[in-house]
Formats: sequence, C-alpha cells, structure tokens
Amino acid sequence: MVASAFTPNPISSAGNAPVYVSEDAGNTWILSAITPVQRMTCDITHAMSTGENHPRGDLHAGTLACAASITLDESESDDVSSGAVMNVQSTRTNVDQPFVRALAFSNTDHIYVGVNDLGQSSGRTATVDVSLDGGATYKSHSIESRKTMGQDGPSVRPAVAPDNTVYAAFFGWRKFNGSVATSDVVVVRDDAGATGSQAFQALKDPSDKLPGRLVVKRVSIPWSNAPTLGQERIGSTLSIAVDPNNSSAVYLGWADRGRKGDIYTLHVRRSTDRGVTWSKSDLPHTTISNATNIALAVANNGVAGFLYQQLAGGRWVTHMMQSRDGFATIQDVILASVPADTPVQQFLPYLGDYDYLLAVGNEFRGVFCANNTPDRANFPQGVTYQRTADFNTKTLTDGSDNPVAISIDPFYFSVPVMP
Amino acid sequence: MNTSRFFLAGILWMSLLAPGALPQATDNQAALVKQSSIIFAGTVSQVAATSFAGVPKSAQTIVVRVDSVLKKPVAVSLKKGDNVTVEVKDPAAFQEGTQATFYAEGWIFGSGVAVKELGHEIVLSGGTPGAAGTGEKTFGQLQQEISDQDLQRRIATADYVVVGRITDVHQWIIPKSAAARYRTSEHSANWHEAVLQIQSILKGPKIKRSKMIVRFPQSRDVAWVNAPKFEKEQQGIFILKRDQVSGDATASLGGYTVDAYTCLKPGDWLPMIDEARVRSLLKK
Repeated sequence: MVASAFTPNPISSAGNAPVYVSEDAGNTWILSAITPVQRMTCDITHAMSTGENHPRGDLHAGTLACAASITLDESESDDVSSGAVMNVQSTRTNVDQPFVRALAFSNTDHIYVGVNDLGQSSGRTATVDVSLDGGATYKSHSIESRKTMGQDGPSVRPAVAPDNTVYAAFFGWRKFNGSVATSDVVVVRDDAGATGSQAFQALKDPSDKLPGRLVVKRVSIPWSNAPTLGQERIGSTLSIAVDPNNSSAVYLGWADRGRKGDIYTLHVRRSTDRGVTWSKSDLPHTTISNATNIALAVANNGVAGFLYQQLAGGRWVTHMMQSRDGFATIQDVILASVPADTPVQQFLPYLGDYDYLLAVGNEFRGVFCANNTPDRANFPQGVTYQRTADFNTKTLTDGSDNPVAISIDPFYFSVPVMP
Repeated sequence: MNTSRFFLAGILWMSLLAPGALPQATDNQAALVKQSSIIFAGTVSQVAATSFAGVPKSAQTIVVRVDSVLKKPVAVSLKKGDNVTVEVKDPAAFQEGTQATFYAEGWIFGSGVAVKELGHEIVLSGGTPGAAGTGEKTFGQLQQEISDQDLQRRIATADYVVVGRITDVHQWIIPKSAAARYRTSEHSANWHEAVLQIQSILKGPKIKRSKMIVRFPQSRDVAWVNAPKFEKEQQGIFILKRDQVSGDATASLGGYTVDAYTCLKPGDWLPMIDEARVRSLLKK
C-alpha cells in the first residue's frame, strides 16, 4: 500500500519527496523518497491497480512540483519496494489538482488523471488525462462542454468500474467574483474506458443536450485561499464513487455554501441509472454543515462509505460513515476528534484539500490528516503511532526523549465493511 | 565523542593521498558537506544487509553503526550506537569493521534511517582522528563557509543588491492584457507589490528614481509560503532579480513604467545586521 500527504522529505531538502509505503496491510509504514519531485509535492494522488501480470500492482502517481511554475508529472513505479525513484511518463505545466485512478488490464493499466488544465485557452479546463497503455502515452480530454467564466473549478475527480465504465465529476464554474463561484456540479460518463475518440460524452443533460449531466445547477461555492473553516481553506471539495459490481450505481459528494450562517456544507446524492437521474435532494444523513474533505467509496457488496472532517465545538472531527441503503440507515464511527486551534497553521492547506477512501475486499481503507497530540481520548477507536510518543504525558518525543512540537500528521485507518 | 575529530580525520586522509591538491580537496569537502543532509562517522557492521524492514537489500546496501553524528536534520532521530543502512556506490570499498565518514542524502525513513551515499572517507587503520593539522578547517568553519558561498552565489546572480525600506505594500492589479494567464488555483501566488525606498545600492546600476517595485507572493499556499513577505516600514538588504515569474516584467511606479523585481527565495531578504557581511562578500 502507498499513502501520501504533504509530507516533506524529513532527511534531505535536496532529495525526493516521499510517499508512505506499507507491506504488511498498514501495520507498519516507511517513508520512501521515490516521487519525482524535490523535497515536497504541492499536490499528490496515486493509484495502484493489480493485474494478472503484476499482482503486486504498479503505482501510478500524479504530482505537482511548485517552483517558478507548477509542473505536473504523471509517473509510474513497477515496484514501490525497490526504493527507486518513479519513472516520469508525462509532464506539463499550468495544471492543478491531479487526481489519479487506475484499472488493471491483462497487460497494461488504464490510467485516468483528473486535472484542471489551466492551459486550455477555451476556458473549458476540466480535463481527464487518459492512458490506455500503462502510462506510456497520455491523451487529454476536455470534459467541459459548456461556457465557463474562464475556467472550471480545481477539482476533477474520476471514478472507474471494472466493467470499463468511467465517470468524472467536476465543478463547472459559470461565474466567479474572487470569493464565490457560481457553479454547476457536473458528471460525465464513458462506457468504454475512454478508448474512443469522443470520450466522456455518454451522459447528456436533458436541458441542453450537451455532454455532462448537471446534477445541481448554480450553487454558490465559497472560494477562500485563507483560513476560513477553522484554519483550513475551502472551495474544491468533491468526490465521486461507483459500485464496482454495478456500475449503474454512483454516488456524488460536494461542498457548497449551505444555509445562512453556515460556511461550508457537504452533500451526497446518488444515481442508480448510470448518472441519468439523481436523487432530488441530499441522501439522508449526508447534509453535513461546516465540513470538508469528503471521500466516497463503494465496497463489493454495495455498501457506500463516506469519509469527512467536520469542524464542531472547536475540534476537527473525522467521521467514517457507512450505509447499505443509500444512507437511510447508517453506521457512523468517529475516527478522530482533535483540537482545531493547534498547531497554528504554518501553510495552507492545514489538513489537506482532500482525504482518501477506497474499498479493498471487506475493508474500507483511508487516510486523513489531523493534529498528532498523543492523546487516546482524541482517537476513540484507538491509535498506533509510528513515531515516538508518550501517551501518559501527551508528548511527542524524538529518539533521545526530547519533546517534539505537535504538528499535523497523516493517519491511516481500516474499517470493516458492513455485512 | 568529539564529532569534529572524525571530520578532521577525513580531511587528513585526503591530504595524504593528494598533498598538492589540498585546496581543491577542501572545496570538494565543502561541496560534499553542502550536498549532504546527513553526515556521520561509523563502523560497518554488515555488508549486503539492511538495518530495518522495508529497505530493499542488495549488494550495495551495508549496515553502519553510528560512532558520531556530524550533521542531520532536526526531524531525524540519529545518535551514537544507531544502525543505519547505507546504499553505497562501491560495495567493494567496505567490509565489516571498516571505519568511515559517510556523506549521504535521505532515502527511506521508518523504524530506522536508510541513506544513499554521496561520498565517504575511509578512516585509515591506526589513524588518529585528532592528528590532523591545526591549519585544517573545522566543521563549523566549513558550515559558515558554505553559508557564505550560498549568499555569494545569490548575490552574483542578482540584478540588484539594495539596502532599503518598504514604504508601501499593495495588491498587484493584474493588467487586463495578462488576465488570461492568472487563473484561479490553490497555488495562485496572490501577487503583491512592495515599494522599496532605496537607501544604497550595493550591486547594480544607478536608478533614476530612488524607488523600486518588488513583486512578491502573499499566498500562504505550500507553493509560496517560504518566499519572503514584506510589510510597510520593513528595512533590510534585498537581493533582487528582474521579475521572470509573475508573467509581467514591468510595473507602474509614480506614473512611470519601470522594471519589476522579485525576491523569492528564503535569504533573498536579510536583516540590516547582515549588511557588513554582504558588503564583505561583494568585495571578494
């Protein structure tokens, strides 16, 4: 398994930015400096798909390196345990938020990277980079068919089903005044893995017959690149997940400005007919105020998982919700509840612009970031630290028992899927 | 254990090999010290082995018991007696019991530390680490030299080095002609302009007016957080380059179009206390 956060190389400012690697189902992790970016990525997601010829799975990553310009690298490793730096297969500048999904085929992986391609002169910037040959070559598909205010929102999220159905969700920005985007929440679909020349055009909206179903229209999405929700910035919270055994069932989550007095509200909707129609309102239990970092996943048995972080009572509370019936009935587990005012923000994002959830067999596995005070009361389900910590004095220490300041750390979790 | 003594032993070894080339050897030493994020002296305890799970074992990996740590990041726990995996360039150079100083960069970090060798110096058998000549530079001196070299390099590539004071800070109004380049992202710089009242020019041609525009990113996004931010009345030494980053090389100042400058790397702005040091380096 591989996980990542905005973790800098702790050893070397000139060395490569690291990812976390576990070879024992998440019990222990190492930090391995294998990304093609120096010291620290400005953005990173990755996917690892297993196929007949590579049962361990190749790792595919989309990373941003931020220097004078922002550079996207789409890269691959066929053995993360080797410690070798990932092989860059495609690179370009002026893009945002690469979000990687991959699907294994017998000989090669199909890779789908959602990016906001700010180099698109048309202003239709929501894009999916598709590779059908394991990353050897990529083709960029603009998935926005409507006029924008000059660009789409940063988050473009693909979701892939084993039957070759590929969905992608994005924010179609129609107006933007610098602090609020008036946005459609759009879903596109391709039924053949985006192998054809007219990719992502299978789903048309009845209102204008253009590709891309407008799940909700003209919502107000606050955009703030400053501490706004607690110490976190907001504006690009979006997630989509498809049932691996029934690609007609798809869940979509996003955040916008909710009721008056609320800052940022999560919503989840569902389609059971391949994105043609959607629930008219939020699914039960899924309208969550003052929350961000939504991540959705669907397990093999159809159970939907919903990971999010809510600012409540001066604390960041990380929830993992599950439901087998479209969230009519739920199991809600609090993974962490930590003080929101410490540590003081050093840079943005504070926790992260997104967290991650995926279904593996009968487990939901995921990663989120939180205050790392070693206090068992903050982690109701229990916690194991990979760093030295004294839970009695609630102090982090270095290898010589010297105290270390509290910071933001990534936390990995595994939760059994509801039967 | 006196950490600097191991380092001196390394320099002594180089001078024994190439006595006529000591200045160059010292330069190499400084370069190695600068490149290396971890420097430690140690004794090889195992060859073709690793010190903790998760590190790929190969003929190039050896386990070294740390005798002393000369340089390491604060975040890394490393002390005498720890075992470190080193991926070496030439495994034939090492056998169990070999003592050496290792110059390395980080590789894998978990229940232990694994590094990749950038260079090493074997401590000759029977050699006395403290026997190096008193004329050799200490580790601390080398660190200061490296710091000066970095500053000197920044000064050499700068268009201007200026002592001055910020009289105004305002958001940069992006010209309409360039607006298409400035799309919205979390990584947007949020460019601001500081008006710099020049008190003296330490490097660079004279300027007609006594003011310059310094364009800087106000964003606290991870991409820009380490770039110097400026406030009104801030005084200091500004190491400036013509703006090749924001997308527009010019600015408006008092109704005139002037060149815009940037000051983007940590250390491109220095407090007044460094003025004598900068002036001294400019003379070299």
